[in-house]
Amino acid sequence: MIPTQYYLLLSAAVFCIGIFGVLTRRNALIFLMSVELILNAANINLVAFSFQYGNLSGQVFALFAMGLAAAEVAVGLGIVLVLYRNFSDIDVTEATTMRW
Amino acid sequence: MVQLPTWTALSPTLLLGLTAIVLLLVDSIDPDSSNNELLAGVAGLGSIAAAATSVWFIVAGTGLPAENGELISLFDDQLVVDQMALFFSFLVASVLTLVVVASYDYMADKARQAKYYSLTVMAATGMSLLGSANGLAVAFVALELASLPSYALVAILKTNKGSVEAALKYFLVGALSSGVFLYGISLVYGATGSLQFDAVAAALTDGVPAGILGIGVLMIVGGVAFKTASVPFHFWAPEAYEGAPAPISAFLSSASKAAGFVLAFRVFATALMGDAVLAVVDWVLVFQVLAIVTMFVGNFAAATQENVKRMLAYSSVGHAGYVLIGLAALTGGSSDAYVLGSGMMHLLVYGFMNTGAFLFIALVEYWDIGRTFEDYNGLATQAPLACAAMTVFLFSLAGLPIGGGFFSKFNLLMATVRSGTWFLGAALIVNSALSLYYYTRVVKAMWIEEPASGLEIERYPIGLYTAVLVAALVTVLLLPGFDAVSQTAETAASLL
Amino acid sequence: MSNPWIAIGALALVGVLIPLSMISVSALLRPSVPEQGKRATYESGEIPTGSSQQIRFNIQYYMVALLFVVFDIETVLIFPWTVIYRDAVGALGYEQVLFPMLLFLGVLVAGLAWAWRNGAVQWVKSPRATRQLSTNNE
Repeated sequence: MIPTQYYLLLSAAVFCIGIFGVLTRRNALIFLMSVELILNAANINLVAFSFQYGNLSGQVFALFAMGLAAAEVAVGLGIVLVLYRNFSDIDVTEATTMRW
Repeated sequence: MVQLPTWTALSPTLLLGLTAIVLLLVDSIDPDSSNNELLAGVAGLGSIAAAATSVWFIVAGTGLPAENGELISLFDDQLVVDQMALFFSFLVASVLTLVVVASYDYMADKARQAKYYSLTVMAATGMSLLGSANGLAVAFVALELASLPSYALVAILKTNKGSVEAALKYFLVGALSSGVFLYGISLVYGATGSLQFDAVAAALTDGVPAGILGIGVLMIVGGVAFKTASVPFHFWAPEAYEGAPAPISAFLSSASKAAGFVLAFRVFATALMGDAVLAVVDWVLVFQVLAIVTMFVGNFAAATQENVKRMLAYSSVGHAGYVLIGLAALTGGSSDAYVLGSGMMHLLVYGFMNTGAFLFIALVEYWDIGRTFEDYNGLATQAPLACAAMTVFLFSLAGLPIGGGFFSKFNLLMATVRSGTWFLGAALIVNSALSLYYYTRVVKAMWIEEPASGLEIERYPIGLYTAVLVAALVTVLLLPGFDAVSQTAETAASLL
Repeated sequence: MSNPWIAIGALALVGVLIPLSMISVSALLRPSVPEQGKRATYESGEIPTGSSQQIRFNIQYYMVALLFVVFDIETVLIFPWTVIYRDAVGALGYEQVLFPMLLFLGVLVAGLAWAWRNGAVQWVKSPRATRQLSTNNE
């Protein structure tokens, strides 16, 4: 059996790739993909720990997390669409009509 | 007396969910017409029914332990209906009622009304459900149910650049923080092997894997900080509140913030309380730092604003700092129930006075007379009643004894005294004094400054006026009636 | 007790070998006729205009795709339910097992009905496409 630490390392790597993408990319679509990576990193953890503890709550929660991730992408794509219509670009740093 | 079935204890939340679906069905039957009266009427009735049911349940003692000491819990302990759940259901439903009544005028000539009302009620369902969540899984699902409609609501004015930009920033920060929050949940699950709060608390003994648990708890703090608009995830708040339609700003800054706090109260006071956790990561200390930084950042930024809506947005960040005292002063002594309870009291009073203040901004946007302090000059000559209500809100927000805000801040101060965290109390006093400065600027502009030439108001919208005046009335009435609130809040907090 | 890594290694090996063998077999079998026309984007000789970055899809693909994503993902919540359905009905009875799922599906149907009535699944023809079609027919 593969030790749980390996899964944890994998998920930590995926999580870090996601965070890196969020912090460095300016394209809104790549941002969405990076967030998806973060959510899936959490799913890896949940399933791996669920297997380790032998209870199913982690696996079931991972299913819910997948459904919510889809809903989040649906809302996010809608916002990116209106962003494009208003600013003719999907660069997230373009929209600066309000000052900080 | 007839004993209702157990699942009816969830009625406030269920009523809100049912209202959202009825609104969708009404829109499905006739998608082309926008029948403002019908839509606002259905949404308003649903929210009033939910608020009334929560009050009824609180008075009837539904959320109190039964004779055998058990609280009402459903779905294998995943949901719990105690006084705190009902308290926050009432808070969310009453803010929703005010927002819906105000939106009747604000949204009257705008498109996508059915979507607007159903999304608002769906978000309220999520916030109300969050109050009943008794496990990390349900908490996350309810959090997303509250967040996703909120992103869409901020962007509801699709052709308004400010609205779209606000929604983008809200969504970017929100999506990131919900990802981080979920990862934190997965790590806490890894450390304890359970998602249900009581089981998590039971599993947290000295042998837990410290690294995983510590990082997980910090990530959960991040998710909570986003939802409550506190430092370090507060950047979205001024943008989202300024760009969104004003009733939505009112809804997000009051109800959504309260939902974030009830999540924090449940997660930290139920699941993560105990020496085994505090030895790994001292989240009380983390919240003490966050509370002080949030207070100062919010209030100092608010003092430098020229735009009234943005000033209120930053003041809302500052108030998140005050309520954080409810977590930061949990020193583990006998004062804990009082500390949590005082946070809840402030959230309830804040729910009315802050919603009222943002709805006044909605009224001003409806009149279309500008957004800066100068534009408010002499407004009282045209609309004395609304300006008097706004004065009540602002002074109550500052903590003067004109509304319930005085007692709730006083209770927060007493909480810091009783738990021995005097530096939090000092920060509270300093910041309240500072906030009086910028709130007074609005009052001075409205009552003392000369009006700009040509300032004339022709329309006095009935819905917006009703909402603002009812909010003002409740804020004032909370001054003599504060005992009822404080007793409910303290009982609720002591049950955790 | 064999090492479970052997199975993973074998899977990885097969995963790499299959595409490699396909590429090499086709390289051995096909005739090689180097010619400049092969490198053009369209072998018919049409010279491409504009950039490939600017390709736009009809917005309606997006609407359908979005509905698909949301409703497709919901099936992952129904799937575990179907697996335990028979045993659960035996243990708890219909009202505890069937009705919650019917409620869930009812909410989904309400959402789908709303999307349908609001024209999310209706394929509107673009005016330009209709115009081009009619000129071709003349």
